[in-house]
Amino acid sequence: MRRRSALAAVTTLAGTAIAGVVSRPGGNDPLLAAAREGRDDIVTETTRLLPDTVHETTLYELTAPEPGPTVIVFGGVHGDERNGIEAAHDVTEWAPDAGRLVVVPETDRVAVENDERGGVDGDLNRHFPANQDPTSDLARGIWNAVERYDPDVVLDLHRSLGIYGFHQEYVGQTLFHSTDAHGRAIANALTADAVPWYLPFHRFTSQESTAGGPLLFQKAAAELDATSYLFETTAFLLDHATMTEQSRLATAHVLAAHGGLEYDTGIGVAGAPESGQESETEPDGGTNA
Amino acid sequence: MSGDSPRPESGRGSEPSTGHAGRLEIGRRALTSPATVATTILLIVPFALGWLRTALFSPLALPGYVIYSIGTAIGNAIEPRFEFWVYWVPFLGACYGIAVSVGTAYEWVRVRRAAGDNTGSDRSPGESSESRQLDN
Repeated sequence: MRRRSALAAVTTLAGTAIAGVVSRPGGNDPLLAAAREGRDDIVTETTRLLPDTVHETTLYELTAPEPGPTVIVFGGVHGDERNGIEAAHDVTEWAPDAGRLVVVPETDRVAVENDERGGVDGDLNRHFPANQDPTSDLARGIWNAVERYDPDVVLDLHRSLGIYGFHQEYVGQTLFHSTDAHGRAIANALTADAVPWYLPFHRFTSQESTAGGPLLFQKAAAELDATSYLFETTAFLLDHATMTEQSRLATAHVLAAHGGLEYDTGIGVAGAPESGQESETEPDGGTNA
Repeated sequence: MSGDSPRPESGRGSEPSTGHAGRLEIGRRALTSPATVATTILLIVPFALGWLRTALFSPLALPGYVIYSIGTAIGNAIEPRFEFWVYWVPFLGACYGIAVSVGTAYEWVRVRRAAGDNTGSDRSPGESSESRQLDN
């Protein structure tokens, strides 16, 4: 009888573990494959921002032959948030189907090299007050580049230590966005793609952000009328590989939602009907079940 | 003849009575009961695997995940400056506390069953449930 009970217990545990593995979200490999294996005729150029200074960093410009949006992706605004840096480096090898994809993987290069949040002048992401000049040399150099490209979409990749709304003062697992963005739909899609049902506190949320703050994405929304996103994953119970994969997925979803990829995610341009007008598809709740 | 009634042996082979001493005995046994050990393992090990590598999270980690996450949320609200790894200490304590509760319930049920078996005098001694099943 005991042997039978033990066998039943082991079978139940094994079955639960197998069910978990089977029901784990796949991560949306087709979307990432579409981003990586787009067109062959992409023109890639690199530019040095703030050349011959300690802040010198590389900007990558990937131009597709088809007209489309200009999307700028930033990694390394905080130097110790390696997920965004690694994801942005990966994105420099993507192949958008339309428009221009501009990537700055190591925005605050001094902070990146020191593996610290802030660089020479502290936290770079507090140096972009709306309707005022940026408050540091690095911020001015970055902002000049942003103005030069006049982007339709700006995405800034970050990570937090905790979870927004769960841990005080932390903002992880959240997509902050400007008013005209597809924040909620993309957050739901990220949950469906990357968060298993048995990690319920890690579901992504979206949060509309005021445009008057001193953050880079807020300044882009306020002054350039760009659709802006700030993506925050979390280091709480997630390892580096998972955070980086979530950052890649966030970038791919933003790119697809705004027409940079010809891949139907059902969000924004990618989900537009024949009329060609942008339509926001809002999946019901988290759709990872 | 001394007239003393035989004392129940303490230890795993004996069944505690239902009085105060019996409850203490059940509590003592619950600390190391198989149910306590199994529950502790179930709460901690799957979660620890996921903590080491996110890909190793499974549905089995859900109870530990909920306990640890809520613990960090409460702790972070009370004292935000602590890093999250600090919460492993209360987490392990909480898991063992929950496991002891399960173990206590398990031992209590065992005692009740044993007491029921002993009062069933219409059954011949040595007749096991297995042998009765074979008769049916």
